[in-house]
Amino acid sequence: MSKRHLLAIFSNFDEAEAAVKELRGSSIKGFDASQDLVVKSPIEHPEVEEFLGAKPVYVQWFTLVGALAGGLLAFFLISGAQANFFDQIKGGKPVVPFPPNFVLTYEMFILGGVYISVLGFFICAGLPARRSPLYSSKVSEDQIGILVKTDEESAGVLKGIFTKHDALEIQEEAGK
Amino acid sequence: MKDIREDIAWAKINKDVLKSLESPRKLYWAILTVAIAMVAVAVGCEVYQYNVGMGVANMDNPHVWGLYIATFIFWIGMSHSGTLLSAILHLMHADWRKPIYRFAEAMTTFSLMTAGLFVAVHLGRVWQIYYALPYPNERGVWPNFQSPLLWDAMAIFTYLSSSILFLYVGMIPDLAICRDNIHSGWRKKLYTLLSLGWEGTDRQWRNFRITYLTIACFLIPLAVSVHSIVSSDFASSQQPGWHITSFGPYFVAGALYSGCAAIITLFIILRYVFKFEEYMTLPILKKVVRLTFAIAMVWTYLNLIEYATVWYSHDEASKHVLIMKATGVYAPFWWMMNFCGSIVPLVMAFKRFQTNIPVMMVVSLLLNLGMWLERWMIVAPTFADGYYPWTWDHDQWPSFVQWGIVFGSFGWFTLLFMVFCKIFPSVSMYEVKEMVYHRSLANKKLEVTGMQESGKGAH
Amino acid sequence: MSVSNLLENWSEFRHKHPVEDVPHDPYKWAMSIDLDACTGCNACSVACYAENNLPVVGKEKYAHGQAMHWMRIERYWPEDDREFPDQGAQFLPMMCQQCEAAPCETVCPVGATNHTPDGLNSQVYNRCIGSRYCSANCPFKVRYFNWYDYPTTENVWPAEMTQQLNPDITLRGKGVMEKCTFCIQRIRVGQRSVKNEGRVLRDGEVQTACQQVCPTNAITFGNLIDTESKVHQQWKAQRVELAVDEQTKDKEEGGSDLRGYRILEELRPYPSVMYMERVRESAI
Repeated sequence: MSKRHLLAIFSNFDEAEAAVKELRGSSIKGFDASQDLVVKSPIEHPEVEEFLGAKPVYVQWFTLVGALAGGLLAFFLISGAQANFFDQIKGGKPVVPFPPNFVLTYEMFILGGVYISVLGFFICAGLPARRSPLYSSKVSEDQIGILVKTDEESAGVLKGIFTKHDALEIQEEAGK
Repeated sequence: MKDIREDIAWAKINKDVLKSLESPRKLYWAILTVAIAMVAVAVGCEVYQYNVGMGVANMDNPHVWGLYIATFIFWIGMSHSGTLLSAILHLMHADWRKPIYRFAEAMTTFSLMTAGLFVAVHLGRVWQIYYALPYPNERGVWPNFQSPLLWDAMAIFTYLSSSILFLYVGMIPDLAICRDNIHSGWRKKLYTLLSLGWEGTDRQWRNFRITYLTIACFLIPLAVSVHSIVSSDFASSQQPGWHITSFGPYFVAGALYSGCAAIITLFIILRYVFKFEEYMTLPILKKVVRLTFAIAMVWTYLNLIEYATVWYSHDEASKHVLIMKATGVYAPFWWMMNFCGSIVPLVMAFKRFQTNIPVMMVVSLLLNLGMWLERWMIVAPTFADGYYPWTWDHDQWPSFVQWGIVFGSFGWFTLLFMVFCKIFPSVSMYEVKEMVYHRSLANKKLEVTGMQESGKGAH
Repeated sequence: MSVSNLLENWSEFRHKHPVEDVPHDPYKWAMSIDLDACTGCNACSVACYAENNLPVVGKEKYAHGQAMHWMRIERYWPEDDREFPDQGAQFLPMMCQQCEAAPCETVCPVGATNHTPDGLNSQVYNRCIGSRYCSANCPFKVRYFNWYDYPTTENVWPAEMTQQLNPDITLRGKGVMEKCTFCIQRIRVGQRSVKNEGRVLRDGEVQTACQQVCPTNAITFGNLIDTESKVHQQWKAQRVELAVDEQTKDKEEGGSDLRGYRILEELRPYPSVMYMERVRESAI
């Protein structure tokens, strides 16, 4: 069954919230609020997460793995290099000295953490993303957009909900 | 004295900031020209030094380190306040940082890039600089991981790349705004590419928030570690006047200090050049000035503690270096450093000067002069009066090559910074919107609770 | 395999210097210098220039502190009321002290300076990138930096003098740190030749250039492990120990009348050069 996209633009968060709540409460054929609903906003707005319902974020696991891997890599790379390739006494210190290696381990811990977090961000947020079928530059300015994907025949119902909540504008994908 | 208006239209924020990418004042081009001329001086000096040898910098035995290392520390230090504003104050939810943190973060990145150049300029064989990289090779030779210089290299690499990522990640929503509003030329392509298809969806924002917070959490200990590692170049060496336990916190305080002073300078310049009067408001300047004053007093305390412990320890060699700093050839600079670092900031304690732009411009420049002198007074005097009496040599003076490269580095920094501000939005648009939004919500809540005493506001 | 190597030889990699349990074997090069015998004639310094291809930098650069004298004679004047010519200078020949725990070694970012198995402080010219941290951290300031490209500088080695350069030693280009090596080229030649005979070097078979030319025999060089060597006997007679930061004899009640001491010993670089105090009032 063919799907089509709708983008409704709202002038503030309250109206958008009301619209989303109604969408989540309703049961429309071919429309699943947890998957087919995307809210676009110009600012980071924690309430969006509240009214959309809890969705997990996995970036912190990337961070943990990245930081640990960075730290371990540093320590073994450095100690390994000192012991295996460059077995030289310097300044009377042991060949594998702890204080300097810990300093470098610490730095690599952070380096790994930051790099892999950013990588995790790109993966989790789906960036770089293909532009979605409907977009309004108003969303990056001051308005809230709700993008929905639904069956052809349910489009009218959704449009009705949007209009009810004072949508400024409703964009529609050209029919297929 | 007006703060940012709470009812400012979000569309206007976009418009105003985007205008800075198009039409700055004429002064912008003047600054850019001067900066390029300064860079040309430094390049000339470096070419001369590269061809003839380090001798033209007028260093000798024992004066093997000079202005290059001092200025290197200066630029590293400068970078720290960017992290202070963007990471520490982010965690503390200080919303006044939002209009100014972007340029402070850019300052971090570019001053680190400038500092990195000094490592290269300082080396006798800069063409072999890659020997300091830990790359596997068939000779089985590795850099010496015990050397504080290598920790420096590692710390600076980590800090620079993390700062660039932090700056970039924080800028993605703004790049999307640029993409949506600029419709022609190479910039359109650049913004389209860099904004990675950001559309402000809930999924993007959700992950964005966590990532930004995570990197901020990493950057704080990183910034502290970077400058204490720089301090261990000295503290973990053996020279009198260098081998001082308190150097870690002392360097970090000094770094934040000179960075905050630089933020005031750049704040004033950007505000004028890019016509940001409505965003970089005087109440924000006031807060930065107060912060700087507090850090200045911390630095003063740590500085005095350093003198006191050296004096009290009865380590004769260190004491001798201290006495010679105050009375020897370096005395004028040493006293000037103490004056600029500890006395001049007292001006900032007075309310009427806190928002007086000309006064703050002069004060912030003097503070940075003091902080630059501080680094020089850390690096140089120990060579003139070290452990070994035969090397007590007071005749050394940096040549025009050293001064020229130091001078040019300011041009290099300004050049990078100014080009950045012209290409990328130097005020964070989406965060100013957030700041305005949350302030108006808070006000509304106050009104509601005031009227109904129900305690249940809109949010 | 790297990790297993790391684990198997762990104790070896955690080994520190200087140590009593496993001393350098079979060589530990050391020196002793009798300041009472030193007349400040500078022959050692000249010999060093000749042996080690040191550039002669000229008056102007010398005055700038850019001289390359690996072996230098320092002059000190006691602070009394006499005029300089009457009182006479006190001399101190100073060269790299080949520390057991050298402050210069830890700080080199590229590991261009290392501790050798025979107890020397080596300098790898090819590896040096010229950060000059080693010199900054050297308490004795005996490291010399090539501020200019001396091999191509006029009058450093005038045309006819280039024939006299020592072929066993490289010329150092600009931007490289260098210092006294205890004439390592002579030591290595000696070690190789006796290896064929299946024995170790005997005392006196290798001499440093400065030792060789000293008219008063003030400089003694040799293997500290070899109990027959003169340097060992001098160290022993003066009760100077290598691996301590304060000599046992100095801790004894009333101190010791022995003349042997090491310079800046209390900083714990564990220098390999022992000086013997002057007993004469001053030289000449």
